Amino acid sequence: MKLDLSFIWTAFIQILPAIPNTLFITVVSVFIGFLIGTFSAIVRIYKVPFLSQIASGYVTVVRGTPMITHLLIIYYSLSMLLDSLAKNYHLPFNSASIPMMVFAIISFSITAGAYLSEVVRAGITSIERGQIEAAYSVGMTTTQALKRIIFPQAFAISLPNLSNTFIGMLHGSTLAFIVSVVDINAKAQIVASTNWKFFEAYIAAALIFWGITIVIEKMTSLLEKRFSVFSRGGVK
Amino acid sequence: MITLENVSKSFGKNQVLKGIDLTVNKGEVVAILGPSGSGKTTLLRCINHLEKPNKGKIKIDNFQVDFSRASKAEILSLRQKTAMVFQQFNLFKNKTVVENVMEGLIVAKKLPKEEAFKKSVELLEKVGLGNKLNSYPVQLSGGQQQRVGIARALALNPEVILFDEPTSALDPELVGEVLSIIRKIAKEGITMIIVTHEMAFARDVANHVVFMDEGVIVEEGNPKEIFQYPKEERTIQFLKRFSEEEMYYI
Repeated sequence: MKLDLSFIWTAFIQILPAIPNTLFITVVSVFIGFLIGTFSAIVRIYKVPFLSQIASGYVTVVRGTPMITHLLIIYYSLSMLLDSLAKNYHLPFNSASIPMMVFAIISFSITAGAYLSEVVRAGITSIERGQIEAAYSVGMTTTQALKRIIFPQAFAISLPNLSNTFIGMLHGSTLAFIVSVVDINAKAQIVASTNWKFFEAYIAAALIFWGITIVIEKMTSLLEKRFSVFSRGGVK
Repeated sequence: MITLENVSKSFGKNQVLKGIDLTVNKGEVVAILGPSGSGKTTLLRCINHLEKPNKGKIKIDNFQVDFSRASKAEILSLRQKTAMVFQQFNLFKNKTVVENVMEGLIVAKKLPKEEAFKKSVELLEKVGLGNKLNSYPVQLSGGQQQRVGIARALALNPEVILFDEPTSALDPELVGEVLSIIRKIAKEGITMIIVTHEMAFARDVANHVVFMDEGVIVEEGNPKEIFQYPKEERTIQFLKRFSEEEMYYI
């Protein structure tokens, strides 16, 4: 086997334009997932009737099934649903006109939401009861106490887990090729398909993923440093 | 004037408060004494509804809440009329010292930021922490944290400050600095209810002493009545451990 080093470089350059796709899918779905996760964590912590059962069901179903399954189910069900709606109500509309990336983002947001629900819940419940009691004692409402006292502390504690989920979603986003979105990995495949040097192309893709991951790790540790001003604790 | 009427609280089958009646006059310093499990901390936490009493009423001047059907708005105004100093300090960990004191002023009292800051700095200077404004709670000693806790309570200008064993979590060396601050503000005529194990302190500072056991008030009166001439057998038995000499050591 001969490794074509120079083609790794060529492939690397050709894959670069796919980075925005990967980053866009990841950032948007983690962001939406964070909102879903925060909402479902809160309804579960406060045991809101009905909503908390839905949230628990959502978390167990989504975490209990593979990400690729979510994508396939969302893709087929949503497009079928939209097409049948369009047909029944005679709308000038067709699921094929929706950008494929939308399906990926919806599906990945649902995936991320379930994992982040657990991350956020763990963060919030790790804050001692005394903090919210003190907030109540100075006359805050529950919303004010959560926003000003509990969330900032929970966020600081959750940073390592949040970054873990973010990296997981970055790598998981390669599944978007299933609905023919050209992300980093799909681009590597396309680049190699002209000369069959898949090995080199995948090495180039791996290097790019690793690079992005290092950037995420650096950003996390910067944030952690900022927050450790007040949350210094534990072992060190 | 603060009046508690028939305040009762159960945790499951365990009845912790059995219909407490208590009157606290304006400017009075009330010390609540009693053995562990007597319900004194629970009583204090019921006053600002950190514990939800099963029944009973509280009246602060003309403001009255019936605990058995208290609305959210009533609970909020009850809490805004009271302030609490906690055994474990419970300073907001993500806020600096001065922000800890400002928080209630900005959020609950809706004071403009500059005014809240000015008032907070004044109070922190009063408790001897004018040089720690921008430190975070983790950077302070226990005694310093509790002094911030006291400043935070004072800032709210409450009808009553509730002290929940304010020195129990402190090193013996640091107890003095906190007690001397409490003594100082007691002289200013702020109404206070203090749950404490510091007998000598209670005797010196309180105008009114309440002895509780097993969820009821066994005996109450001025410090002299309780410490020197207790009537109830249970009170005598409890105070026996704190002989005159020992009290000076505390």
